[in-house]
Amino acid sequence: MSFLAPMFLLGIAVIAFPFWLHRLQTQSSDRKPFSSAMLLETTEQQIHVRKKLKYLLLLALRVALLLLLALVFAKPLWTDPDTLPVPTPEGTHLIMIDTSASMSRSGVFDQAVAQARRAIEAAPGGALLQLLSADSGLHIESELTADRSTANASLAAIRPGALRLDYGDAVAAVNRLTESLPPPVTLHFISDFQDSGMPVRFADLVSSAVATLVPYVVGSGEPFNWTIETVRETAGGVDVSVFGFGQFERAATVELSLNGEAVGEHGIISGGQTIAQFDVLQTQEGDNRLEVRLDADDDLHVDNQRFYVLENVPPAPIPLITLNRDGLPVTYLSAALQSDRNNAYRVEPMVIGEFDSRTLSRYPWVVVDDIGTVSVELETALADYIRNGGNLLAFAGMRTATSTRIPVSGNSIRPASVGAVANRFLSIGQIDTGHPVLSATEGWYSVNVSQSIPIDAHNDDQILIRLENDEPFLIERKLGLGRLLLVAGGLDNQWNDLPIRPVFVGFIIEAARYLSGADRLSKAFTAGATLPLSMTGGTSGQVIDPDGNNVLSLADTTRAQQIKLNKPGFYEVYTAQGNYVVAVNTDSRESQLQAVSEETLHRWVAAMGGQTDGAALSPFEIEAEPIELWHVLLFILALVLVAESLLGNAYLTPRTTN
Amino acid sequence: MSGLQASQSTARELLNPEVLSHLKNLDLVARSVVEGFLIGLHRSPRFGFSQEFAEYRSYAEGDDPRFIDWNVYARSDRMVVKRFLGDTNSHLMLLLDASASMGFGGPPVSKLRYGQFLAASLAFLASRQPDAVGCMVFDEEVRDYRAPSSRSGKLQSILHCIDSAEARTGTKFDKPFDKFREQVTRRGLVAVISDFYCDIDKLLDGVRPLAWQGQDVVLFQVLDTQELNPDFKSNVLLEDLETGEAVEVAPQFMRDAYPQRMRAHIDSLSKAAAGIGADHVLVKTSDSLDQALRNYLLFRQRRS
Repeated sequence: MSFLAPMFLLGIAVIAFPFWLHRLQTQSSDRKPFSSAMLLETTEQQIHVRKKLKYLLLLALRVALLLLLALVFAKPLWTDPDTLPVPTPEGTHLIMIDTSASMSRSGVFDQAVAQARRAIEAAPGGALLQLLSADSGLHIESELTADRSTANASLAAIRPGALRLDYGDAVAAVNRLTESLPPPVTLHFISDFQDSGMPVRFADLVSSAVATLVPYVVGSGEPFNWTIETVRETAGGVDVSVFGFGQFERAATVELSLNGEAVGEHGIISGGQTIAQFDVLQTQEGDNRLEVRLDADDDLHVDNQRFYVLENVPPAPIPLITLNRDGLPVTYLSAALQSDRNNAYRVEPMVIGEFDSRTLSRYPWVVVDDIGTVSVELETALADYIRNGGNLLAFAGMRTATSTRIPVSGNSIRPASVGAVANRFLSIGQIDTGHPVLSATEGWYSVNVSQSIPIDAHNDDQILIRLENDEPFLIERKLGLGRLLLVAGGLDNQWNDLPIRPVFVGFIIEAARYLSGADRLSKAFTAGATLPLSMTGGTSGQVIDPDGNNVLSLADTTRAQQIKLNKPGFYEVYTAQGNYVVAVNTDSRESQLQAVSEETLHRWVAAMGGQTDGAALSPFEIEAEPIELWHVLLFILALVLVAESLLGNAYLTPRTTN
Repeated sequence: MSGLQASQSTARELLNPEVLSHLKNLDLVARSVVEGFLIGLHRSPRFGFSQEFAEYRSYAEGDDPRFIDWNVYARSDRMVVKRFLGDTNSHLMLLLDASASMGFGGPPVSKLRYGQFLAASLAFLASRQPDAVGCMVFDEEVRDYRAPSSRSGKLQSILHCIDSAEARTGTKFDKPFDKFREQVTRRGLVAVISDFYCDIDKLLDGVRPLAWQGQDVVLFQVLDTQELNPDFKSNVLLEDLETGEAVEVAPQFMRDAYPQRMRAHIDSLSKAAAGIGADHVLVKTSDSLDQALRNYLLFRQRRS
């Protein structure tokens, strides 16, 4: 029953009656005219006050009586968000605050800090306390101590960042931490509990090391938030996707700047998804910094900007070492690379007799349409090239079938092809879909193989594709710093139809990306991701963060480093192999401020602490197994009734005897 | 003998304020009181009302022309009036307090009504001497004033003045006494009828000049039974009729401390009056009026 129910309000209104009754008595019963007050003296104050107090107490009892009566009929339920469960006196209390990007909403983090302070104060005296903060990682903010002042002092230094919090990761991190802590462990988790922060598997939320989970929900209400979802290059310019969460109609403006100069803006009126299109941009050669800002009055500001690296690099030449400059392999390979949206490479046919092997180091990767055609000198040059970091995509064509070994890789070749003997086509039997070259390609099973080179795989080989007769069809070999991708078939559509199958295009594009290392150098990261410097082509270098500060110390620049990208903006990466700019943005899931459902929270608490029946759930702001109070109120009502009767009787007695 | 006793009994009943309260006409009240009083009064040389000749004295303005001895005037061309035994006071001045506090009391009669009975009876009795009688009704100001006169028609004017008094506002004695000193220079009897809820020193400041002037002053203090012995069962909020001040008092106080304070106040007033040669008479509204009249005659005799 709601406290706004008409019957309850009517019941509450009845308390006016005793007020009227007491007022009537005090004003009209004992006032009399008298000839003169000259000889009178006011009754001693002590007696006067006592009598007044007696009246007021009686009045209070009567009001309480009526109020309790109304409350009993209202059957109120009690859920107090500020009340902590009664923890065990011993053990450890972990106070963990969510410092993800969504917590930077106005006022929300202040609520979290206040709640943390209350949790610290409410912890039992003998318990150990530790303050934690969680975003993309778990951070220990104070040492494990029974001294509350230490935790309180550390609280002031915690601020929300731009990273994302996954609750499953947080629980896992707490799990590892609590292994060495005195049990039982109570985890006070203060967060906005975004729905987007939940892991895919509910089991990831459960920790066996934590005895009790006490969640505190902050930042409730109906949030509204604009966010820039994506920035996408198009043929005509750039498309910016903006999304408005929540029910609202507020205008916003998308502002685009390129390398620090404003190049356009676009107005947005309503919520939901809106695509703002910007015209062709005059970019510089190399990496261009594209910054999109959203001028909007919404709850969360950290996601109102997005950074993007706009590359303007001409297609790089890739040599195709072949016997015939105008052969089909040139056509097939050129068509496949031109289909790449990025248009990163162009085929440069090189006749095998004319190719100068000294130029190999100019190219990030090289293609040989029939590895059996290479001379010994070229084989040596290619092997050196690979060992020094070069990459080779080689096809084993008809010329290779006449050899007993594969040049460069050294694999042995058996004498006959199974497919040819059986006079039938072979299909693809097994694919390593986890490999970067094959993960994004489909249609391999439609490839027909009439003849393949039977290769004996080496121990160092990774067989990526096998034929249905279990013969290797695609092999990867690591040689030194480089790689060799070997296809046990030609590129001329005579032994297999791979070059004319759609899967060939995807294969070549992915292989090019893989061999060139382009897939290892992404230009877009989410905040909290790690940038391995070795993937940029070098093992040393320097990184400058969006604020212009060096990330690495001088000593660290000579070692391989994993760079944590914690700040949204542009990071400049300087390595011996080149300079790059990478863009770091807040994870778009932090923009979704919708909290998880009450049911999910209850299930989580129940799964963690095993308590689903009341007290431990009370700290929920949204709901915590409400307790019915009517029977308690009825008991109090009976006590008040007795007290009122006794007091009223005691008050009436002297009046009648006098 | 039995007829005389019956007559005296009826006459005594007329002195009862409860009986008098049923009489609307103040003239009738005064006549009834005085007649009742005189019937019960034993004839005495000290209190005789004879018409025996005592002396002549020169006619003065205000004397009743009926008492001019025309024979003497014919012989000596001097206007003199005859004086009789017991006819030594020349006038009686009645000062009636009509402040709001005088409205307290009853039933059967309030203090003011009792004071009106008393004043009217005194006026009627004095007019039979015949004395010159005047009256003044006051509260904070002088509300009504009749100069002393012994003319028979003047009595009705004085009775009307007394009867029209209504209880209102507060009490101040300085203005009526000043007025009295300005208007009356001859010696006489001054009867002040009030409850005297005032500062006694200030009262004496007003009365003392009258005593020095040679006036005989008698203070009739009229009080109600509820003022002398109040009876309250519980705490009560008492509101002063003059000032409006409300005082919450306990029944214990009204039962114990208040009567003592009242007694002390009465004693103080009595002592102060005696100190300046004035007399103080306490009359309760429940008392019959003969005691007051008896006191008047005692004063008159002392004056003579």
